[in-house]
Amino acid sequence: MNPALPLVAIGLVDAAFSGFRAYAGRDARIRKHRAVTRSALRGLAVGSVLLVTPALTAVTVLMTAGDQAHAYAALTDGAIGYLLPLTVYAAAVMLSLAAYFVLPFRASTLAMVVGLGPLTLLRPLVVVVACLGALATGGGWRSLLVGAVAGTAVLCVEPVVHRRWYARPL
Amino acid sequence: MITSADPRSGRRLPVRRAEVLRRLTEHGDQCAARIVARLPVDDDDVLDPHAVDGLLVAVHTELQRLSEELRIGERLVDLLVPLFAAVRSAAAPERPLRLVDVGCGLGYLIRWLSATDALGPDVELVGVDLNAALVTEATRLARSEALDCRFVHGNAFDLPEAATVYVSTGVLHHIRGPALEEFFRLQGRSRALAFCHYDIAATSLAPIGAWVFHRARMRHPLGRHDGVASARRAHSDATLLSAAAASGMRPLLYEPRGTVNPFCTTLRPVLGIRPGLEAPLRQALGRASRRLVGPERFSWPTG
Repeated sequence: MNPALPLVAIGLVDAAFSGFRAYAGRDARIRKHRAVTRSALRGLAVGSVLLVTPALTAVTVLMTAGDQAHAYAALTDGAIGYLLPLTVYAAAVMLSLAAYFVLPFRASTLAMVVGLGPLTLLRPLVVVVACLGALATGGGWRSLLVGAVAGTAVLCVEPVVHRRWYARPL
Repeated sequence: MITSADPRSGRRLPVRRAEVLRRLTEHGDQCAARIVARLPVDDDDVLDPHAVDGLLVAVHTELQRLSEELRIGERLVDLLVPLFAAVRSAAAPERPLRLVDVGCGLGYLIRWLSATDALGPDVELVGVDLNAALVTEATRLARSEALDCRFVHGNAFDLPEAATVYVSTGVLHHIRGPALEEFFRLQGRSRALAFCHYDIAATSLAPIGAWVFHRARMRHPLGRHDGVASARRAHSDATLLSAAAASGMRPLLYEPRGTVNPFCTTLRPVLGIRPGLEAPLRQALGRASRRLVGPERFSWPTG
């Protein structure tokens, strides 16, 4: 399995959520579905641009490698190790989100208090664990480099969207 | 602390930065002192009212996000709908029925109730706050969405029209000492049939939860700091029931400690209801009435 596709998918979904988080807390209206959608699309757009950086890094690593087949194999192994913690994290977020939206307000409070709130804070740690995962599966320094660049890009989406569009209350 | 108003007239009073810093330092709150030290002042060391207002609006806008995510509106409706059903069943209540949100801030609760029409068209929705900037912003927000509610700058207990039910969210922990009993006493003296004030459930987990949640969701240092400080200042169930008894109404707690999972109940209300309303309220609550408890349920003295 080529892990690039699920990694890109997770990165883009995370970017959309980052766009929403950049907007949340800046608009005190009650009805704001369109504004929420717009913020997610802004996150998606910024994420799409920023995620070009790890793609370019990976291409550069491959192009400059002495043994490109070996470098490609190392990157693939590293990407699988990188993907594993992200998948666990994404599953926990999706489970919390489903509980939040489907369950009555008391249970949804539980999902927010023990799930979504702390999980937001854990994002940088998850990137670090993913980088360690890339090393652990034999990805070497090349995977670590691409993983670190990808993680930084993903973590930058929220502050970039916030500064560009939501620096002040709407 | 960074804003002050005459409780009677609502007129803004000047606040000197040095005085705020002195009080914060005396309380050992260096974090808050650092935030205040960065606020602009005029030549007389009075905090710039425009900067303070802008800051308060920004922080309250962020705070609303927490209310939205924790579905505070639904939590209140869970109790307010049965409460108004009980009020309607009372002998000839004054019309129109009026819900007054004390210390409404940006009026999220009032605007949400208006947008969802959760209490019915016969309930007038009024938000009151001592801070003029917050009331102005609440009014602007309500107009921008054509919501049928209004906001008043001033003292909630000096309104020309009587409240049927007083409500608040996250206000009680700001009121300390004898002022808390006075707060309830004023409502007892009014023509209101009930009050229902939600505040942070005082548990050992509350400050930790507040830290995590405010760190994850709030951007401004004032909001982050205030969230944790508020959780630390939350009144215990005993304190609230004891103070609410000063109103002369029947004091009750809904979902107090020990009756619900603390992770599911970030805010819980203290109520006061006129004689004769408890039975219809319990009937309207149905099975949930087991979560509604009075002082007799507890072993501690309630004054």
